[in-house]
Amino acid sequence: MSLFKNLFFTGFLSFIFLAMNVPQVSHAHVIKPEQFHPVVESYRRVMFLLNLNPVLWDDVQTETEHIANELETISKKIADVYRKTVNDAITKATALEEGEDPPGPDVRKETARVVFELSTRAVADLLTNELVELKASTGDRKKAAECLELSRKYWAGFEYEVQFTDQPMFRKIGLCWLKMVNALGNEPLLGQGEIPVDAKTIQKESDEIINYVKTSYGNFYAPEDRAFAPVPLASRTFNAHAVIPPKLPPGSNINKQRPRPRQILNLVARGVDETQTPLVAFGDMVFDSSLIFGEPARSLNINCNVCHNKSITNPQFKIPGLTKNAGGLDVSSNFFAPHANNGHFDPVDIPDLRGIRFTAPYGRNGRFSSLRDFIRNVIVNEFNGPEPDPIIVDAMLAYMMEFDFLPNSMLNKDGTLNSKAPKDARQGEKLFNKPFAQMNGMSCASCHIPSANFVDGKRHDIGSVKGAEEDSIDRAMDTPTLLSAKYTAPYFHNGSLETLRDVVLWFNKNYNLNLTQNEVVYLRAYLETISDGKEAYEENPDVAAPAEVEEQNFFMASWEFLRDKGKFDLADLLFRTVAQELRNEKWGLKYPEATEVVEKMAQIADAARAANQAGQIETVNVKVAEFRRLYEENTGLIGGEETPGEAKPEKKAAKAAPSVNQHIEDYPYVRK
Amino acid sequence: MKRFIILFALLIAGFIVSSLYAAEDAELAVKTKPPERALDVKAEPLNIAFISYANPQQVVRDSEGVVNYLQKYLGVPVKGFVTLDYGSAVEAMRSGKADLAFVDPLAFMMAHELIGARLLLLEVYANGKPSYHSCIWVRKDSGIKKLEDLRGKSIAFADQVDMSGHILPRDVFVKTGLLSSKRIEGEFFKQVYFAGGDEQAMRAMFNGFTDAAGVSQYSLSLLRIEERDQVIALANSIESPSHLIMAKKDLPEKTAALIKQVFLGLDRNNADDKAILDKLYGVQGYTEASLSDFKEVAKVAAGYGFVKKPEFFAGSSKP
Repeated sequence: MSLFKNLFFTGFLSFIFLAMNVPQVSHAHVIKPEQFHPVVESYRRVMFLLNLNPVLWDDVQTETEHIANELETISKKIADVYRKTVNDAITKATALEEGEDPPGPDVRKETARVVFELSTRAVADLLTNELVELKASTGDRKKAAECLELSRKYWAGFEYEVQFTDQPMFRKIGLCWLKMVNALGNEPLLGQGEIPVDAKTIQKESDEIINYVKTSYGNFYAPEDRAFAPVPLASRTFNAHAVIPPKLPPGSNINKQRPRPRQILNLVARGVDETQTPLVAFGDMVFDSSLIFGEPARSLNINCNVCHNKSITNPQFKIPGLTKNAGGLDVSSNFFAPHANNGHFDPVDIPDLRGIRFTAPYGRNGRFSSLRDFIRNVIVNEFNGPEPDPIIVDAMLAYMMEFDFLPNSMLNKDGTLNSKAPKDARQGEKLFNKPFAQMNGMSCASCHIPSANFVDGKRHDIGSVKGAEEDSIDRAMDTPTLLSAKYTAPYFHNGSLETLRDVVLWFNKNYNLNLTQNEVVYLRAYLETISDGKEAYEENPDVAAPAEVEEQNFFMASWEFLRDKGKFDLADLLFRTVAQELRNEKWGLKYPEATEVVEKMAQIADAARAANQAGQIETVNVKVAEFRRLYEENTGLIGGEETPGEAKPEKKAAKAAPSVNQHIEDYPYVRK
Repeated sequence: MKRFIILFALLIAGFIVSSLYAAEDAELAVKTKPPERALDVKAEPLNIAFISYANPQQVVRDSEGVVNYLQKYLGVPVKGFVTLDYGSAVEAMRSGKADLAFVDPLAFMMAHELIGARLLLLEVYANGKPSYHSCIWVRKDSGIKKLEDLRGKSIAFADQVDMSGHILPRDVFVKTGLLSSKRIEGEFFKQVYFAGGDEQAMRAMFNGFTDAAGVSQYSLSLLRIEERDQVIALANSIESPSHLIMAKKDLPEKTAALIKQVFLGLDRNNADDKAILDKLYGVQGYTEASLSDFKEVAKVAAGYGFVKKPEFFAGSSKP
């Protein structure tokens, strides 16, 4: 077998077991990153970046350099022409003479067009060149396999758009690749099963792909009336009306954080059964629902809980072009809500929402005094959602008002340290409260008031923001609380500082505090002590998926409330979200039987939704009851504490543990 | 359709029962390790061939845990190396470069016949079973409800010489009388493709390039979460013993017994052992087995000429 095929033949089964076994017992819904060739990754990121406003030209230049380097494998001359043309275009769009206004949108768009067209043609060249190499290598199976693998990887740069806009050719080209893999034949395994290379098929299928790629992308021009994407305009079967679902660029990570942070809801901590608090239950559901947002967040299944995972943060969150430091996002870009784009790149670190009822005003710059206004703004103007029903906002408020800080046994009620705090921290406390002349006689505690949850409810310009112009007064940021902050790095409004020590050093440098090394240590110890908390993460990461399923059961508690309010449109949102989330989470459960049960729960939610739409309220009642019963009967199985069939002890006692052979003999397909 | 439903129900029932026993097995198993031994640096090293699932450097890094673990309890230097395919692993054993190798059942059966390789231990998977099967996968919206519906249509297998990615799923059609046991071009299917791997075969089916895919049961996990509900297993193959550790023919009996004890001592409830197992193909652990566990799959492989003497696997002798 060829190297290419060997890797798949031998490696993939092992990979599958790795992929299947390890996550199956440990994690909830995890989106694995797509595997692309590095140049295809760069190309796809370039495309994403060029569709943004503003375009991050430095990032574009970095990515195009990767493409240029790869082009050098064909010809240095071609690579140099590509590099120069791209760089010249970018320079023209970005370099400013003294006193000159920045180029307008037309220049930006035209430059983006040039870069995108050239980059698309470059990837097309790489692909066709490799296929030509493949055709010339059929006498050497190993080399042919390598060429085939590489050309197939280049094709992935265009495949997504072809899939949605040119289905006939998507299938045809897909078959071409399949036929060529077949045509590579097989090397013998221990002298058996050798199949020679079928050069004729490789020639024919390669030509088919080369022809399509040259026609569609060889002299590619980006249409003016749509976003930059490698759509095969010149193909006879191109469907101009097809919709391409939104897709994030390679390097994105929107998975929730692991280990799962511990969320404290005040009412639960007080022993209240969540199922008895329908408004909170509905708010929790809405917090987890991407359906309250518009496109593209809705299709990408981005909801509040993705960024503020379990009401906290998501330090791994990243979307190239929208994120500067991991855990941050430009929420005023044109990607999520074009209508509310502010036109400049200003990502903010995702804030921790714990204790949010104590930390007004809201927004990193404190622009909303009302949490209700802030919630509406997130839905409508950050994530393009429709105007929310007042009950949606009421419910989210009710839910968010329950978010508590982590308990901290080292703090007194007035926010001072008690005797449990480390000695260094108590030294740091003195410094924290010490007025510095360099800070206009203020201390750290002047803004982070210990007795007021370490906030002052005000906005200050501490010098961490670059203003619009030299003397502009637009730099103030909301004072963030320090409670529970130990677990929410990075710090500052833009996540520019990685550790609490960095924060101390920043103030020391920017305010010339002249802190000694010991004082830095003390202040860091103090910050780490006041921001500490009991059990910041859930103890057992294996329960993530079962816990997510449990939540869906809890969400169902809001049905009766919505029904009695006559809010059947919101009930539709409830059932749809529950079914969607159950189907996302079911694959992370330990036992396949549990996955089956959860799918059944999702189907019941579907049925409840259908009945709700048909106005059959009694049927919805029945379905909701059925849903709850099914969950209650299978809680142990879903949680992985009970093995399948454990509830039926008579089966367990029926036979002694069988040998491996008996396992096989028991299998009904085996002919005995 | 009715027949399919009955078979499906039987399969589910079989799976539940076997999972139950497997769970009991796990509960009953006492994970005892032999005493640690001082390393004799002058002793002949034990050479192990690991099969690649990622780039070789990554596999080498991942195997360091088990190499150190074995060394601690065997008292001899242990050296791991990576092979890209089972053929190379078997060749390494034939030429004396490998004392142990991680292989699939087909490679083992061939190695057993050709160079007398011995079965040491089977891997145990997440469902607690030391076995797996293949499936015939189709899209739910394809309108294909039973195997017979695939007549005149296309199927993608993973590779020609592949137990779970070709031989077992093809056998599903043989057992139902839709294909001859000896391969005849153009029989039943309009087109048969070998996609180069399980994922490629699954994606070929999912994307509509082919009507079906015949690959391992675990291939479902290679589709994205939102895609998985769009496909269905039309039928399952017989169970095959899992992937395994085999030893060279002349490995001393005492050494083989000690190696087995060391591997069987790996306990997933122990954090250090779990870390080793997670990187060792993600298995749950190991279990003993006999040649006769390969009886059925040997018969199937014999139909393709990969196994010459299936009777080698018919007895109940322990390796």
